[in-house]
Amino acid sequence: MLGGVRSLWRALSRRQSFEAGMADELRFHLEEYTQELIQSGVEPSEAERRARMEFGAMNTIQEECREARRLHFFDELGRELRYAARLLRKSPGFTLTALLTIALCLGANLTIFAVMDSILLRPLPFPDADRLVTIYNSYPKAGVERDGSSLTNYYERRGRIPAFSSLSLFRNATAVVGEPGYTSREQVLQVTPEFFATLGSGPVFGRAFTEQETSFQTDKAVILSDGYWRQHFQADPAAIGRQLRMDGSPATIVGILPPDFRFLSSEAMLFRPLSSSPEDRSPNNRHSGGNSKHMIARLAPGAGLGLAQTQIDAQNAALGADNPKEQAFLADAGFRSVVAGLHADHVAGIRPVLLWMQAGAIALLLIGAVNLMNLLLVRAGARMKEIAVRQALGASRLHVVSEAFVETSLLTMGGGLLGLLVGAAGIRLLAALGADRLPLGSQIALDGRIAAAAFLGAILLGALLAAPIVWLNLRNRSTAALRSDSRGGTSNRAAQRLRHAFIVAQIALAFVLLSGAGVLGLSLERAMAVSPGFRADHVLTSQISVPWSSYRNWPDRLAFNAKLLRALANQPGVSATGVVNNVPLSGRSGKSAAAVAGHIRRPGEAPRGHFAYGVDGDYFAAMGFQLREGRFLTADDSRRSGRVCVVDEDFAHYYWPGSSALGQKVFNGPDVKSDEEAFTVVGVVGNVKQAGLTDEAAQGAVYFPYALRSDESLFVVIRTSLAPELMARTLQRTVRQIDPELPLSDVRSMEARIADSLIAYRSPALAAAIFSVVAMLLTAIGTYGVLSFAVTQRRREIGLRMALGATPVQIRTQFLTLALRLLNVGIGAGLVGAWFAGESMQALLFHVPPLHFATLAGSVVLIGLVALVACLIPSLRAARIAPMEALAED
Amino acid sequence: MAKSAELLPGTLDMLILKAVSLKPLHGYGVLLRIKQISGEALDIPQGSLYPALYRLEHQELIAAEWAQSDNNRKAKFYTLTPAGRRRLREETASWNRLATAMSAALSATPEEI
Repeated sequence: MLGGVRSLWRALSRRQSFEAGMADELRFHLEEYTQELIQSGVEPSEAERRARMEFGAMNTIQEECREARRLHFFDELGRELRYAARLLRKSPGFTLTALLTIALCLGANLTIFAVMDSILLRPLPFPDADRLVTIYNSYPKAGVERDGSSLTNYYERRGRIPAFSSLSLFRNATAVVGEPGYTSREQVLQVTPEFFATLGSGPVFGRAFTEQETSFQTDKAVILSDGYWRQHFQADPAAIGRQLRMDGSPATIVGILPPDFRFLSSEAMLFRPLSSSPEDRSPNNRHSGGNSKHMIARLAPGAGLGLAQTQIDAQNAALGADNPKEQAFLADAGFRSVVAGLHADHVAGIRPVLLWMQAGAIALLLIGAVNLMNLLLVRAGARMKEIAVRQALGASRLHVVSEAFVETSLLTMGGGLLGLLVGAAGIRLLAALGADRLPLGSQIALDGRIAAAAFLGAILLGALLAAPIVWLNLRNRSTAALRSDSRGGTSNRAAQRLRHAFIVAQIALAFVLLSGAGVLGLSLERAMAVSPGFRADHVLTSQISVPWSSYRNWPDRLAFNAKLLRALANQPGVSATGVVNNVPLSGRSGKSAAAVAGHIRRPGEAPRGHFAYGVDGDYFAAMGFQLREGRFLTADDSRRSGRVCVVDEDFAHYYWPGSSALGQKVFNGPDVKSDEEAFTVVGVVGNVKQAGLTDEAAQGAVYFPYALRSDESLFVVIRTSLAPELMARTLQRTVRQIDPELPLSDVRSMEARIADSLIAYRSPALAAAIFSVVAMLLTAIGTYGVLSFAVTQRRREIGLRMALGATPVQIRTQFLTLALRLLNVGIGAGLVGAWFAGESMQALLFHVPPLHFATLAGSVVLIGLVALVACLIPSLRAARIAPMEALAED
Repeated sequence: MAKSAELLPGTLDMLILKAVSLKPLHGYGVLLRIKQISGEALDIPQGSLYPALYRLEHQELIAAEWAQSDNNRKAKFYTLTPAGRRRLREETASWNRLATAMSAALSATPEEI
């Protein structure tokens, strides 16, 4: 077998010398034989004749020799390719249309597939990545679907859950890295010692972190990513043991990660130990995971998600037994620790969006394919007689099939190559739309896998397109085709029915795409119309990381805030400035418990999780909040000793319905404590959208003075009379004047944040819009093509009827009626499709019913117009046919 | 001259392998050698020789090489490959079994039944 392939390859790769060698060899034989005959006394001319006679037909022998080497298949293929290429060159209009259609439709699919592949399909880059899970705490009845995991969770579970072979905790953080004057802010992943072991991929040089390095005093170690090591240490292995200044104090480099190390969507180049104090690990902090620390684990051999979940549930129940009060509180909150697959969990939010975008792209491809099938059928119809003659003369069925397949594959391969270009452009477009901010989105690229998918797609499409041609040619009894009138009296009925069915399918699919784009666009519009609750225009926001090493205590930090706010207030164009630990819609929202004095939970009433913020300066004015009652917090509240807070309307209505919230006492945390720790409500502000514009229910928010809400992250908020983007430089300069070591990050206007937060609505709406425009275009081309072919084919019939007295209006009406009938059936089928699509697309829709009447009506009108215009031109042409000319033709 | 016999189907390959196993030969040489070793009894149709040679080469049972012929012309010479040698041995053995069985069967007399 292998030998055969080798020999075939030798013959193919040196085809010229194979042919020459064969000719030489046969000639040598003839000459030797002729010589022998001459020597035995035959006349030279007679000898030559006899030699040739006895040898046999030279051509046949050569063909048999080629066949022996399996070369004839390739000869045949080459012949068919040349024939197909010649046919395509002869009709450049058709060829160009087909190539562009395939390029667009395949390209759209490749773009979406590239996204699907890198986000959903490709496993995480770790050994046995499907064994990796994440565990998070959930308090659904308190409105907190998802919290991280706490240090206490980690220390209590580590080594005690048999279903996990390894378990670890990580936390996303940032650090200011470098010598004074040359600092940069870097993403850092803080990890527990077995983090790399859990993943199954760790330092290639040096070591992972040790248990000792998890305490605050002894945690001065850092592991570098390969990229950071190459960039800053020129890939010098001696970097291990050297020091890197982080947040103002030196950390020793203990390990270098492999080049392909990538943890989920993290951009972190530096890894630090996740250090903590004994207090952090105590049972008191079991539920203070916040949203910053996350747990991952590797399932032990033989264990599944179910077993792990059972064991976690059992441990949670056992741990809670010694504190019935807390246990009851947690039960009311619906507490549970959820075990989920790491990859699936990470991409769960984007999954339905991607699947629907791929479905849309496939619908577009189908429309394109149907279009081409119709055009190809028209061509095949014209050649049917030629094929029938050839079949009658002995061309095999296989030959008919392969000829059709070679022609369509030549088209789809060419279209596929162009489609790769379209796909590359599509990926660029997606990147510009912010696809790299999707989970695992930075990996999206046009690579070998996508090229392979393009190749496979082109082959399959080639086969699909060839199918109707083959069907037409083979089902047609050759004798019938030969007998049928070559002068085109009537067209082949079966082919005509098939073409009409294709038009119907095309209209239906285009209708589904169009109405899908309609509801998606409408829900994007409705999501954008939602008021965030604050005035988002003219607001610039930026994160500043203020390291604890240089700002060691609260007075230092507040002094920094005060200095920054004062300096900014003096800049031209600034009308208000404030500081907050987290801006709304930042994508980092976490909720925490707040207790209210005098509020006794009714039996079965779940405790509520609330958004809690620390604010400084004129945050409310800068962000444009609305004041409902009392007053805003001001910069003075951070410096005065009085403990005050502001709550939002939802919070006030929930706890003090019908009475004023002012003067009420609130506690930071789940318990009512002594009066010294109480915060007095001094104001009520309007609700704002905290996590996303499309949040349905408000969840209550409490705003504390910045100093009293211990949180190290800091956003500065500037309201300006200028364009917010123009303020970015001013902000940069001001911060640098105060402390050149503090880098800014995530500098964006609030309007940009709002726009970005809608990517899950915008990208499918945009994709559907693009797809449906292309689909309409293809439908118009397809309908026009088929109808105008029908008119051309029936010229004689039309001419005859007109000669017998039919009026042009009757002829026109006849074609328009046909078009309307096809349109009606197509739209009818499309309505059913739109209903199915709408029902299953509900997860992507916001405040739009799956069947939106106005959208459907608009789609009907639009499709109807496009199809009718496409039909009108050929119908008018039919009515203008001059009877005498039509009858005199051919 | 002895009367030439019809070639049984499938035996041409065996004869070619045998011929080139004795000495490397060009195509015409194979023809002559088969004639010679069969005592002029087997006559190969000239046209069918080359497809058979190409098929055997494709199966890597024989290998070809261009070299000088006896009368100093360039010719394509075939030699037996190890796989070809193995095949020849097998075919010879199975042919011998068949021939023995056939002649035993055909020479059977009523007494032996």
